[in-house]
Amino acid sequence: MKGERVLVAMSGGVDSSVAAGILVERGYDVVGATMKLFCHGEDVPDRPCCSLDSVNDARRVCEQLGIPHYVLNLETRFGHDVVDDFVSEYSRGRTPIPCVRCNTFTKFRDFVRKANAIDASWVATGHYARVSNTGLFRGVDENKDQTYFLWGIDREVLSRLILPVGDLDKAATRRRAHVMGLEVIAEKAESQEICFVPDGDYARILEQKLPPDAPALSPGPIVTSGGTVVGEHRGFARYTIGQRRGVPGGFPSPMYVIAIRPGDRAVVIGSRDELLGSGLVARELNWLAPPPAVGTAVSIRVRHRAPLAPAQIVRLDDGAIELALDEPLAAITPGQSLALYDGDRVLGGGVIDKATGRRASLPVLAA
Amino acid sequence: MSPPATPALVYLDHAATTPVREEVLEAMRPFHDQRFGNPSSSHRWGREARAALDEARERVGRCLGARPDEISFTSGGTEGDNLAILGSWRAMKAKGRRAIVTTPIEHKAILGAVHQAGREGAEERVLGMTSEGVIDPASFDSLVDEDVAVCSIMWVNNEIGSIQPLPELAVRAKERGAVVHTDAVQAFGKIPIDARTQHFDFLTISGHKFGAPKGIGALFIRRGSALEPLMHGGTQERGRRPGTENVAAAIGLARAAELAVAECRSHCDRLERLRARLEEGILERVPDTVIHGRGARRAPHILNLSVPGTDSESLLMALDLKGIAASGGSACQSGSISPSHVLSALGVRPDLAGAAIRMSLGTLTTEACIDRVLEVFPSLVAKARTLAAQSA
Repeated sequence: MKGERVLVAMSGGVDSSVAAGILVERGYDVVGATMKLFCHGEDVPDRPCCSLDSVNDARRVCEQLGIPHYVLNLETRFGHDVVDDFVSEYSRGRTPIPCVRCNTFTKFRDFVRKANAIDASWVATGHYARVSNTGLFRGVDENKDQTYFLWGIDREVLSRLILPVGDLDKAATRRRAHVMGLEVIAEKAESQEICFVPDGDYARILEQKLPPDAPALSPGPIVTSGGTVVGEHRGFARYTIGQRRGVPGGFPSPMYVIAIRPGDRAVVIGSRDELLGSGLVARELNWLAPPPAVGTAVSIRVRHRAPLAPAQIVRLDDGAIELALDEPLAAITPGQSLALYDGDRVLGGGVIDKATGRRASLPVLAA
Repeated sequence: MSPPATPALVYLDHAATTPVREEVLEAMRPFHDQRFGNPSSSHRWGREARAALDEARERVGRCLGARPDEISFTSGGTEGDNLAILGSWRAMKAKGRRAIVTTPIEHKAILGAVHQAGREGAEERVLGMTSEGVIDPASFDSLVDEDVAVCSIMWVNNEIGSIQPLPELAVRAKERGAVVHTDAVQAFGKIPIDARTQHFDFLTISGHKFGAPKGIGALFIRRGSALEPLMHGGTQERGRRPGTENVAAAIGLARAAELAVAECRSHCDRLERLRARLEEGILERVPDTVIHGRGARRAPHILNLSVPGTDSESLLMALDLKGIAASGGSACQSGSISPSHVLSALGVRPDLAGAAIRMSLGTLTTEACIDRVLEVFPSLVAKARTLAAQSA
């Protein structure tokens, strides 16, 4: 409501800048803050977020909007909640999504505490999603919808959350930026990569954080689902389910990584068919709506931007959910997120533990 | 009924910077205007500017007990510190002395310059400190030996206000043949400085800490001291700091320095009283507040405190949004606050270092400012603690 204080998380990008601008137009008492989440040292290359340039852009936008801007140092907590988890997940042969952890722990928990500290009744971000009647809904822009990364946030945050660009599509957001005179950021490129992974080379982060003899980065066998060793790899953490790069050739059909077995450091490869799963189990559940009953038909997403897939809940307890898919899905990957939807509404989600109902693997004969 | 008056803004960050004094602006004005000449020019305009600059140099010299040729104008504290340390170390290393001694609680300008000397081959020696922020004499005696080229010691610490016994330390370092530099940026105007009776070789001051503009300072360079310039070019400042002199600012510096010296006693008495009220008022309302450097002799304008169970970042934001300016640890390039290297060096617990708030008093500070802080601060602390307890 007009005059009430809102703390806006500002990355220096167009979405959060326009979000802040819209709130200023609506008459809120807007305070901008940029979270400093990690430090690459003194030579900070220009990164989509968290770099010095990004902080400067956010500050410049706040100056133009006439609102105060602060830099919040959340490095320690982010390092623990997000970066350490990222490393440990890869060490377990899984493929994590740090953005989900960042939203859950950093943006919508630590940041909300900062809002409390300055008596801000509201928090806002530039996410493409919508909040209505304390429910979370997919953003209007189907291409930009970010709810896949938001299933883990605390449900009580929804009652004080504003997502001003969730009603816009990206082009409209950029137009608003121009109208607001925010030329500094109006045409800024999108950030797609993981913010703390410079140049997208995540394995380098693992090399920095893990001991040199870590199993996840040590050589191991590449095997077929039938158990034949067909090659060697330089560390299973360099692989993810569905990957084709780094997989040996010479098979009658294209081969994919279909499983990672940290126990014997094996990367298991198989055909496209072997990549399909007809169900999945997810853990670390979080609900943004009353949990649905067993037997409920839901829509799910197991990968950002994948089309929604119909599924049925076959088991649900405090720790885990099991789903049966109407149609098999490829590359259901441990560590990735499961988001559940009822129409546009986000019901909740969890972290994928395993795919189920894989087709019995057929022996593959070398050509 | 009339609406309640908006509470006045309270500026408690004088150790960061101060407003330019009216008298200083007045003194500077002609040199931005009709008397705009370049002091290196030989014509009427140049002579006029030269005369003013010479006079400013004499006046700044008098404020420090120095002769005019011992004063070099600089852009401020960082330049003065770098010129003194790197300039004298580079000149001294030819004489076979390789070590630089300093404290871990120096301003980043000193630490950065010493690290640079380290990259050029200097041995960096860091003095041990007491938990109150004073140099441990035993450490001083063992580290300051015949190998030491330069010994740089901050006179008044900018974060906690602790005062080093600089005159005594200077005598001892000189006995061992070291060049002595002191960063007196926070000391000037708070502590009597007299180059005739005190034995430092180099002394840095910065104008904007006492009512002169930003971008002007001075380095005292005792006659006969070896110094290599950092910049090369013209012969200005005896070749030690080439570049057309900032005449107007030098005059502003001279005026501000004279006022600061003349008012030193009364200003310090006033700040001492105000700080005591602030400190006691906070301790009364928040009894477990930790006052850093409380056991040391402290300059009267700095109060650095930590309230257990709070964090500086949140408290500073909350204070700012109530119109009260204070500061935290060292701000990094991005503006985010990291725990202060000064408090860490004094062995302050990380949670307390992360909660540190520096309030620094000065010309803008009145009784009403203290009242306002005492009204607002305890409630912000209480709130911060409640929130911390909830999220623990």
